[in-house]
Amino acid sequence: MISLALGAILAALAVLLTALPFIQHADDLDAPLDGPTPEQERRIAVIEERDRALAALKELEFDHRTGKIDDTDYRELVGPLRRTAAEALRIIDEGSAKE
Amino acid sequence: MALAIAMLLAVFLLYTAVVGNSTPVLQPSNLAGHTGTVSLTGEVIGPVAGESHTTGLTFGLRDISGKSQTIPINFHGSVPDLFKVGRHVNLTGAMKNGTFVATDMTTKCPSKYTTTNGS
Amino acid sequence: MADLGRAALIVSFGLALWALAAGITGAMANRRRLVDSARNALIACFVSTFIASAILASALVRHDYTFVYAASHTSHDLPTLYSLSAFWGGQEGSLLLWLLILTGYAALSVTLNKRLLRDLIAWTVPVFAGVATFFSFILVAVSSPFVTQSRAVDGAGLTPSLQNPYMVAHPPMLYLGYVGLTVPFAFAAGALLARQADERWLIATRRWTLAAWMFLGFGQLLGSHWAYVEVGWGGYYAWDPVENAALMPWLAATAFLHSVMIQERKGMLKIWNVVLVALAFELSVFGTFLTRSGVINSIHSFARSSIGPWFLVFVCATAIFSTWLILSRLPLLRARTKLESALSREATFLYNNLLLVALCLTILWGVLFPVLTQAFLGESKTIGRPYYDFFLRAFGLPLLLLMGIGPLIAWRRASVRSLIATLRWPISVALTAGVVLLILGAGSSIPGIIAYTFCAFVLTTIVVEVVRGTRATGSLTELVGRNRRRYGGYVVHFAIVLFAIGVAGSSAYGSTKEQLLLPGQTMSVAGYNVTYKNLEVEKGPTSSETRAVMTFTGRSTGTLRSGTNAYFADGSSSREVGIHTNWLRAEDLYVIFDQKQGEGVYFKVLVKPLVNLLWVAGIVFIIGSMVALWPDAREQKRLVARLALARA
Repeated sequence: MISLALGAILAALAVLLTALPFIQHADDLDAPLDGPTPEQERRIAVIEERDRALAALKELEFDHRTGKIDDTDYRELVGPLRRTAAEALRIIDEGSAKE
Repeated sequence: MALAIAMLLAVFLLYTAVVGNSTPVLQPSNLAGHTGTVSLTGEVIGPVAGESHTTGLTFGLRDISGKSQTIPINFHGSVPDLFKVGRHVNLTGAMKNGTFVATDMTTKCPSKYTTTNGS
Repeated sequence: MADLGRAALIVSFGLALWALAAGITGAMANRRRLVDSARNALIACFVSTFIASAILASALVRHDYTFVYAASHTSHDLPTLYSLSAFWGGQEGSLLLWLLILTGYAALSVTLNKRLLRDLIAWTVPVFAGVATFFSFILVAVSSPFVTQSRAVDGAGLTPSLQNPYMVAHPPMLYLGYVGLTVPFAFAAGALLARQADERWLIATRRWTLAAWMFLGFGQLLGSHWAYVEVGWGGYYAWDPVENAALMPWLAATAFLHSVMIQERKGMLKIWNVVLVALAFELSVFGTFLTRSGVINSIHSFARSSIGPWFLVFVCATAIFSTWLILSRLPLLRARTKLESALSREATFLYNNLLLVALCLTILWGVLFPVLTQAFLGESKTIGRPYYDFFLRAFGLPLLLLMGIGPLIAWRRASVRSLIATLRWPISVALTAGVVLLILGAGSSIPGIIAYTFCAFVLTTIVVEVVRGTRATGSLTELVGRNRRRYGGYVVHFAIVLFAIGVAGSSAYGSTKEQLLLPGQTMSVAGYNVTYKNLEVEKGPTSSETRAVMTFTGRSTGTLRSGTNAYFADGSSSREVGIHTNWLRAEDLYVIFDQKQGEGVYFKVLVKPLVNLLWVAGIVFIIGSMVALWPDAREQKRLVARLALARA
């Protein structure tokens, strides 16, 4: 008998917890999810691009310093990376300026 | 490209190795006609006699379902801890003059936890 | 109390089902309240599963034999710790442990990420809930741990081979690993379902994957050590399907941990990474199926297991779901960048991935071979040790080599010139080591000498990397702090090298000898002279213990005892091997008491060089993994900053 009562309490608590969001936000009936908009998604992709390029530059710098990459290779690789990073930064700035 | 080549190589290796190394897994009821090395699974039937290091340990083996004739076994080697009459064992060996001569024996794997009622 | 346990499981099932249904509806209709409700249900599901588990655990510890599960897995003379470990000694308890760990992981990972990944979590929750629904359904309807009976006098006890500290730790470790692989899968699937191809899910789940991978790896090593010390046949890995079942998802996860770095760096391999995550998850469910259904020992017991068919359906359903999901999101996952050169860090990661997956799939092929040949040829065939050993060498040795090249090769594009310059040291050290070992007589095994040369190569690479890095940054701690994942990774590589040395040493350079010894007689094996002194029989608490007392001289001197235990409870016996460890050579003298023969005893004596490096490797592996997975607040901050910037 005690077991059954405890079980019933457990079930009631479970129902309460799942119903909680509906009780708490009873006023706004269909609050949407707060996901990024397609425009924001594009910006996230560009920001990821920027971070990637910056991380790669940092890494290249470090590899050059530790001697894993010699001067010739370093000069050859550093140019395109800097351009990618600069390009991403420009897009991000433009986007921010527009708004 | 490199990907495709690697995959092809892998499949090729796979093929050659598989053809070379497989052993049929049989039960006493479908052993007839196999002369090469096979893996034989079944239930141990008494009496167990002999000595596995000298003359060989002799016992019988039949299908786990119980519905087959019993095949005489002669085993040389190290007897596993769990070996006894009624256990399910796996033997590796070949038929020689009507007796299955085995050199390797494993009992049901201990990693299957339910040992008493699981089989 | 069993009623409450059953009720708790029914509540778990209901909550999981609600989390699945409300989660899907909420995410599709973009309704925040439904999504939040589903998330709460998933967390509540953990709580009620925890209650059910606590009830089962207490019944086991109290030896409450009205629980059939307690009666069939414990007995009065069983110590409390082993009574508790009976939780995972049987099928029902193991499934409950699965569900408990799953909901625990789900509740924690979802709660920690709920703000940052709200849109992904909306879809992650129903994926977790789907898996939880399956397991709670099985526990409620098919295989319940709360079946009761009228009180029995004493229980059946726990199989002697499981009454062992290893068996207390090994299964939960494996489960933490297996089940943990659901986390990256749920987040990856969540991201795909939400059509979000950015790398948030990767960053959010990286540590979870690492932790699961660490548990899985360490759990397997514990199992190996148990087999080595307790099972007593002198080996630590038998390519048994159950062992393979744990190895396969570990290999897939290893591949993922590497390829994920290419996605982070280059935005490449997005499809491949999702495939690996799905594969790892699929293999872990399949592994549970293999261990639990009994398909493997004999395919005939397939139909007899009550949960086998259910699991098969579940494995197929998740496989179909993953395949559909990945195929339908292919356009989203296309990479914009390409591999720039076959001679770059990216490329070595790619080769490493191919080899790991190839190894994983060849093992899968071996495991499935008996089932497949039965289905297509009408006669079941197995493939044994030579097959696996062959592929371990064919794929493992190149992997070892890559482990040495990878860290030293530059990202993007490396020129042959600079590569030779950086590899100068490792190559010369490796070649020297190879020549020295050849002179010392290691040439008796070709794979062995290759493995050792490669090991020397990898070790030098690691040392060169760390020394150069320290010189550039000024201090070792600063270097490691800069990129803990990388240097933790090197520590793990070091562990793998130790492991490889141990495996090669004990398998390629070991010696075995079997002989009948009368008391006082001596046999000699690989530099040891082992003498059988006398036999002692003692009555222990649960068994009659027969021990042969042995002395040995030679490479080291001492005594050891090897024998058998005959258990009173069920008349079974087990061999208790005698092991002497020579730490100077990391070598074991391993004596198996095979059989009594009149006055004499047949002994099998093995000398296993370097075998102890395997266990040392386990500790190093844990240290390296911990370094790599220790939380880093900077990452979280970066994610927040990105999102804020995107919304600015």
